[in-house]
Amino acid sequence: MGEDFNTESMLDIFLYESEQLLETLQNVVLEQKDEDCFDDASINEIFRAMHTIKGSSGIMMYDNITKVSHKLEDVFYYLRESHPDNVPHLELVDHVLDVADFITAELDKIKEGDTPDGDESQIITELDKFLNKIKTGITETGDDLPPENKHEEPKQFYIPPTENESSKYYKASIYYRSDTEMCNIRAYTAVYSLKEITEDMEYMPDDIITNEDSGAVILEDGFHMLIKCQCTKEEVLEAIGDTSGVDWVEVNECTAKEFEMGFHEQEPAPIVIELDDKDKGKGKEKAEEKKEEKKEPTPGDYVIKGKETGKGKKLAKNQPKNSPKQSYISVNVEKMDSLMDMIGELVISEAVVLQNPDLKVPGLDLSNFQKAASQLSKITTELQDVIMSMRMMPLTNTFQKMNRIVFDVSRKLGKDIELEVIGENTEVDKNIIEHISDPLMHLIRNSVDHGIEAKEDRIAAGKDPKGKITLEAKNEGGKVYVIVRDDGKGLNREVLYEKARKNGLIGNRPMSDFTDKEIYQFITYAGFSTKEQVTEYSGRGVGMDVVVKNIQTIGGKLEIDSVEGAGSEMTLKIPLTLAIINGIVMEVGSSTFVIETNAIKEFVRFGKDMLVKEPDGEEYVMLRGECYPFIRLNQRFHLEETDSSIDAEDGIVVVLEHENKYVCIFIDTLIGEQEIVVKPIPSYIKKVQGLSGCTQLGDGSIALILDIAGLITDQERR
Amino acid sequence: MKILMAEDDFASRKFMSNYLGKYGDCDITVDGEEAVDAFMMALEDEEPYDLICLDVMMPVLDGYQALKAIRDIETERGIPEKDRVKIIMTTALNEERNVKKAFEMGCTVYSGKPIDLDKFEKILKKLELIE
Repeated sequence: MGEDFNTESMLDIFLYESEQLLETLQNVVLEQKDEDCFDDASINEIFRAMHTIKGSSGIMMYDNITKVSHKLEDVFYYLRESHPDNVPHLELVDHVLDVADFITAELDKIKEGDTPDGDESQIITELDKFLNKIKTGITETGDDLPPENKHEEPKQFYIPPTENESSKYYKASIYYRSDTEMCNIRAYTAVYSLKEITEDMEYMPDDIITNEDSGAVILEDGFHMLIKCQCTKEEVLEAIGDTSGVDWVEVNECTAKEFEMGFHEQEPAPIVIELDDKDKGKGKEKAEEKKEEKKEPTPGDYVIKGKETGKGKKLAKNQPKNSPKQSYISVNVEKMDSLMDMIGELVISEAVVLQNPDLKVPGLDLSNFQKAASQLSKITTELQDVIMSMRMMPLTNTFQKMNRIVFDVSRKLGKDIELEVIGENTEVDKNIIEHISDPLMHLIRNSVDHGIEAKEDRIAAGKDPKGKITLEAKNEGGKVYVIVRDDGKGLNREVLYEKARKNGLIGNRPMSDFTDKEIYQFITYAGFSTKEQVTEYSGRGVGMDVVVKNIQTIGGKLEIDSVEGAGSEMTLKIPLTLAIINGIVMEVGSSTFVIETNAIKEFVRFGKDMLVKEPDGEEYVMLRGECYPFIRLNQRFHLEETDSSIDAEDGIVVVLEHENKYVCIFIDTLIGEQEIVVKPIPSYIKKVQGLSGCTQLGDGSIALILDIAGLITDQERR
Repeated sequence: MKILMAEDDFASRKFMSNYLGKYGDCDITVDGEEAVDAFMMALEDEEPYDLICLDVMMPVLDGYQALKAIRDIETERGIPEKDRVKIIMTTALNEERNVKKAFEMGCTVYSGKPIDLDKFEKILKKLELIE
């Protein structure tokens, strides 16, 4: 059953291919938007893309997509055949983008499980008008019109199933009281009523109707079922019902994979064992062949052999011909995510094994164990590196989307803006890409709308009338920097300060209280907009706060810098990976904390003379003449233990750094450095400032991960 | 309209024969071999089917084998393209490679299960099998 994995449904493939085509199409169009006309290669490319989409949407019976793409294909057919000269290029660009947008919107609907019901008539009319213009253009110059573009109706169709993809899988077991008679028939009754609601099921023992002895087996071991259905656990329970004799019923959700595995502990491995030494080479070859063959279905693969009631259908397994080797496979993101999670769990259980208290029995000879353990650690570390690198994707696609946004918005606002892209090949985690796309779009829009001035203003200020936005990405010190820079008017300190004061964001503190950067941060507060007029694209004051929130969810930060009159720069700083960090484990009282190794500046043995106590109770630590704020974690997090060790003078002070700000914390014991799998703090615990997550340690206990940035801002506020 | 349906699962069979029954005479077989036999028989009697619905997972001959056999018979008899029977594959296998293969082998419509009846009817109209 192994080959049921890793295959995509017809619908997925259609969506994927069409999106791919639309993306290339947009890139082609945007690349040449400033030329006088498309070159032959692009015309061909667009023609082909539309032709393919027309064909496949025809098969899938999405009529409106078919019609629209057919029309655009026609347009490009004429362009390709007769190369008319006087084509209004910008108008054509608009039309192509309109069509691309329309189809994308419809594809989105399909993805959501809705019917693509967009009205294509308007686009069709416009394209018709445009087509006529081209046609008259061609005949006016005296050329003949090329023969009509022949449109072949698709002859084959595909109807996607109505079922949505969210089938659930359950493992259910029924146990009968030991005095129950005819358990097998009772079990069959349960199976029968379950059949009504399930899409597929399998059960064990599977010969309940034919074999009377199965009743005894059921009494002994219970009756087990694997169920695939759309319903909830409760509905399954209800269907099984509470018939007499049932002792208890157990229903648990399981994964599709467990379901596919059935009741066999493992799949029969397709290994050929050759007894004769001479043939060993051959046997290996055969085994390898078998691994590769799993592509084309062949007639005869799906013959059902010896089907029994209710039993999973057994197929004459397919062993089709060899298919050519592929160097790439596309993998479902969910599978990657679950692999990532599992590796996280693996790291934890590795720690559980290696730091097992059983090993601490004195007098044990562990030298062989240690050897094996270090090998294991090496492999898990490599495994992490591999999964990380598998999840890495270049930012290219995300950046290309921005091109389109600059184009759209600047045209609507009548500004002339060039977008420069640097470092688009920078690779980041797929997760991060998903999260920065929207914020980035917002920043770019802001730059186009607020940042770059109108043409007249730019000329008056002695600047190049053409504005410039730079989008840059780079990797530095375990972080990704994504920078949006414009050469517009920049931010105005006074205006921002006044506005913030009016909105009551800062009370009555004087302007000198704030650094430039702090004032610029005002624009990230909710409801803050300095734009007097709200435009279609920005100025409503919603947005920057959302941008910041989005960035924070992936552990990132937004920094704003600006020079008035010369432009501003927004920098997104995002950690490269999210799930596993290097951390140092330490104890305070009986609680365990973890600090990211990168954040630790130094450890200092605590001396009483280092501590400075202000009259208001605030404490500082003096180190080499520098003064650092001091936090006692037990007070900060209201731990119960008394702070005895501080007097006993055997504690350790840890100096932590974040963004050039320092804070010291006091700990009792250092435990050691290890890889930490970051897990979010469960949602039923109220968000605690200063903690960024939790993790499980080798001995199974839970440690809290300190959020240095949170601690520092919190300390400043006090 | 003369319809042939091959389907081994009782529930699907009952459902589909009810549904298709309103469009015409619906013959039912329970495996691929019977379907090919029925197709042959109808051809011999010169009352060929207009529409054949084939399940893919069936005993004896699967849907692909039946599809191939039917198309081969038609080729061998020199039946022109336009007069060939319309074949709808009905199956829970929705992977692209399954669909592509079926198209290659000459099926007219590939319909995933559970069947989307609205679209099914739309297609029957498009194929000019019903008004």
